Amino acid sequence: MSSLMLLIPIGVLVGASILGLVGRGKRTLHAVNILSATASLLIVYMAILGFERGLELKLWIYASSSVIASLNQLIFKVDQLSAFFLLILGILGFCTSLYGVKYMERYLGKEDLRLYNFNYPIFLLMMYLILTCWNLLWFIIFWELMTFFSQFLVAFERNKEKAIRAAYKYFCMTKAGADFLVLSVILIILNATRFNANYSEISKVLPFYLQSNPSMLYVLTSALLIGFGVKAAMVPFHSWLPDAHPEAPSNVSALLSGVMIKLPIYMLFRFFISFFPRNAGIGMLIASFGVITLFFTMMYALIQEDSKRLLAYSSIDNIGYVLLPLGTGLYLMAKGNQFLGSIALMASLYHTINHAFFKGLLFLTAGSVIYETGSRDLNYLGGLAKKMPLTGFAAMTASFAIAGMPPLNGFVSKWMIYISTLSSPASSLFGIIALFISGVTLAAFVKYFTSIFTRPSLEEIEAREVPLLMWAPQMLLAFLCILFGVYPRLPVKLISGALDSLGVQMDMSRLVIYPSVVIPDRGSFSPIVIFSFILITTFLMLLLIPSKGKQFSVWKCGIQEELNVRLPASSYYRDFEEEFGEVYKIGDLSMHILKKLVDLGKGAGLKFEAMSYDLNSMLSIAMILIVILVAVLGGVEL
Amino acid sequence: MNVIFMAINLAFALIIAPLIDGFERKVRARLQNRRGPSIFQTWWDLIKLFRRPSIEPRDSVKSFYIMAPYLTFTAILTACLILPTLLPHSLNFAGDLIVVIYMVSLATFGFSIGAFSSGNPYAQIGSSRELSLFMSEELVLAFVVGVIALISRSLSFEHLFPLPLRISSILALALLFVIIYVTSSRIPFDIPEAEPEIIEGPLIEYSGRHLALLLYFIHLKRFLLYGLFLNFILPEKPGIRIGGFLIGLVILSLVYSSLEAYYGRFRIDQAIRLMKKLSFVAFIVWIMAMVGW
Repeated sequence: MSSLMLLIPIGVLVGASILGLVGRGKRTLHAVNILSATASLLIVYMAILGFERGLELKLWIYASSSVIASLNQLIFKVDQLSAFFLLILGILGFCTSLYGVKYMERYLGKEDLRLYNFNYPIFLLMMYLILTCWNLLWFIIFWELMTFFSQFLVAFERNKEKAIRAAYKYFCMTKAGADFLVLSVILIILNATRFNANYSEISKVLPFYLQSNPSMLYVLTSALLIGFGVKAAMVPFHSWLPDAHPEAPSNVSALLSGVMIKLPIYMLFRFFISFFPRNAGIGMLIASFGVITLFFTMMYALIQEDSKRLLAYSSIDNIGYVLLPLGTGLYLMAKGNQFLGSIALMASLYHTINHAFFKGLLFLTAGSVIYETGSRDLNYLGGLAKKMPLTGFAAMTASFAIAGMPPLNGFVSKWMIYISTLSSPASSLFGIIALFISGVTLAAFVKYFTSIFTRPSLEEIEAREVPLLMWAPQMLLAFLCILFGVYPRLPVKLISGALDSLGVQMDMSRLVIYPSVVIPDRGSFSPIVIFSFILITTFLMLLLIPSKGKQFSVWKCGIQEELNVRLPASSYYRDFEEEFGEVYKIGDLSMHILKKLVDLGKGAGLKFEAMSYDLNSMLSIAMILIVILVAVLGGVEL
Repeated sequence: MNVIFMAINLAFALIIAPLIDGFERKVRARLQNRRGPSIFQTWWDLIKLFRRPSIEPRDSVKSFYIMAPYLTFTAILTACLILPTLLPHSLNFAGDLIVVIYMVSLATFGFSIGAFSSGNPYAQIGSSRELSLFMSEELVLAFVVGVIALISRSLSFEHLFPLPLRISSILALALLFVIIYVTSSRIPFDIPEAEPEIIEGPLIEYSGRHLALLLYFIHLKRFLLYGLFLNFILPEKPGIRIGGFLIGLVILSLVYSSLEAYYGRFRIDQAIRLMKKLSFVAFIVWIMAMVGW
């Protein structure tokens, strides 16, 4: 009975999207968002059930006995890994749906809300299905549908050319990436598992098959890394993300950044840990992609002047922070260092959930600022913390968390990343770069937070605190950021369950978990207890001995009139950016090369089009293609 | 027992940090042919400031502005508990080097948020310089941490101290020596504060108790970094260690303050360029550590 419950969120979300087609008014919008929030809560419940005992549901669609046979049966299964990601989806989906109730009202009358009403629940549904389905072919179908429906959310403001272009770029790039996935899935199903796309079957057969066919291993690895890398916005396939995420409505951006780009991470965990034999080389490859990703994108995030674009770049950076320990973990496991390897994998999952919370929160705060002021320009905004204290507090918490400041959640995962990478020579350089980049992250988020919330604005900006339905989700996420920082026992338990379901044994007895720090081996005191003790005593001191100061205007070296100057966001770290200009030069150069390649492709396309008017040449090309196809198909035994 | 020793460490840090500053002021004055104040002068200044009321600027975001000095001070105090100083007892646990680095970053974070919240343009300039310098230091520091982790295959203080004698470890310590000098905002690198240019930068609006806390933080940070450096070279034997620590403090502050007395201030871009060059050196040191020198 309880497995049938897996269908309830599907029903609710489908209902919501159909309802969303009905009207474009306020009521429909509210109903859609509230139904989505309910479905998200149900998803959280599914995740909890999944952690406790696992859920499995088999649906026979039809009977056939060809290649399509593997699609006969739609199997839903929630193991602990998918439960972990479902938890992220459920919590963040709940917050963004609730937030959407009020936030989307700003588009009333301006945009066609049906575009949102229909696609938003379907987008949630597709992510849910990807996480619960237990069949690679069905996974591919849901994956493509997710890309398809989410592009409409990116292109929500359809009158803006920028949004349309961003959606187009997003769709084309991820679609091209997904084709690599299709190819690799077909290769797996044809060669290794004989038309069986069931995950359990694949994890039984594939590792042995790949061990005997190492060349296949490398082909599949590169195809999967490209396919998932595009969706996860791994450098060099990242260029769609900084365009697409800022264009979507803020609550959708939060979902895109918090959950959607985590789904490739989920599949990478499935593939590289349970489907593939553990290979040190692959681990190193993933880790180096991770490092390149986090280095370049954070340097680019530092120079952004648009609040949501800064956040988008930082999302890619955090994907780097997730890929780096994943790769290092694979490497260490393959080399036989089970303990550090499992810590690295744990760090990867920990950072995944952390990033979902703080980045979701940051996008929501950016959305609140847009809701009140209509601006994303860091140069223009300023001094909003006085007018929006709750949003200001939430943004500060998230900035602290993303900069990895103790005792918040970002610190725990970053700490685990350093422990696992810095101690082994092979990944030492990766750890060093990650440590440097965390300093840059701090600076970038000081910029984000202070330029919006604390630095006084040049002209008076009209704003007040956002309505309850908008600040409550922000507070919930801020609370989770603090909770996962001071009480890591909870996520660590979930993560070790998730890793256990992949066959990675966590030696929990060697892990001592203190609030805020997970510590291998031993220790005498909990540092954070002391930290919070001191913090509380100082704040008590602050309360008990209030300084009875007067208020004066700021010190302007004795000048009476208003200075009316402030540091523009564009020149926060100008000297640093100029001195480290080489990084940006490399980035620009690669952009330039890419542009050249695109132009080349366009030129070839034009030539082809010109050729297509010529019947003879087209026929001969078709002949050659058919010959190739026959030759290829000859090798396939059906 | 450990608790008592740690309390002694903390009390020592709290008492001695302003005294070191007083001593350094005296040394600098002597080198510049002045008589200089008594070495207790820093303490008197702090006590005076603690008793004064503090003024709040009207444009400030009050909650963050007031929170910042407390947060900064707390972070550095916690770091003092984690790092062994006078006595070799501390909260030791795996990876505590990282925690100390992050506590110092947390202090920087709090410091700059406070400055940005004060609403003063000079403070904003100072803070942005502070963070630019912080990022470029972090690059060198990351390499030094990497080298240290490579040499001793650990990130916890109990395995780190003292560092084994190798070429790479000596070079790494030399780099650490420079970073400590830069981080403690001494004269060629006091660009964020730069009194004649931007009138104390981040500190400009703070007064009374808040200013006292921030000044105290700067002294404690210097003391902490001295302690970090000394821990790497001092032997583990208890008797020698205490004596060595005290002598080391005096020597370090003599060296640092005499360096300070002879230099003018760098511009921010010069300082960042210097850090970038140093990071290349650090990279070479890292390679040396990789090949096992």
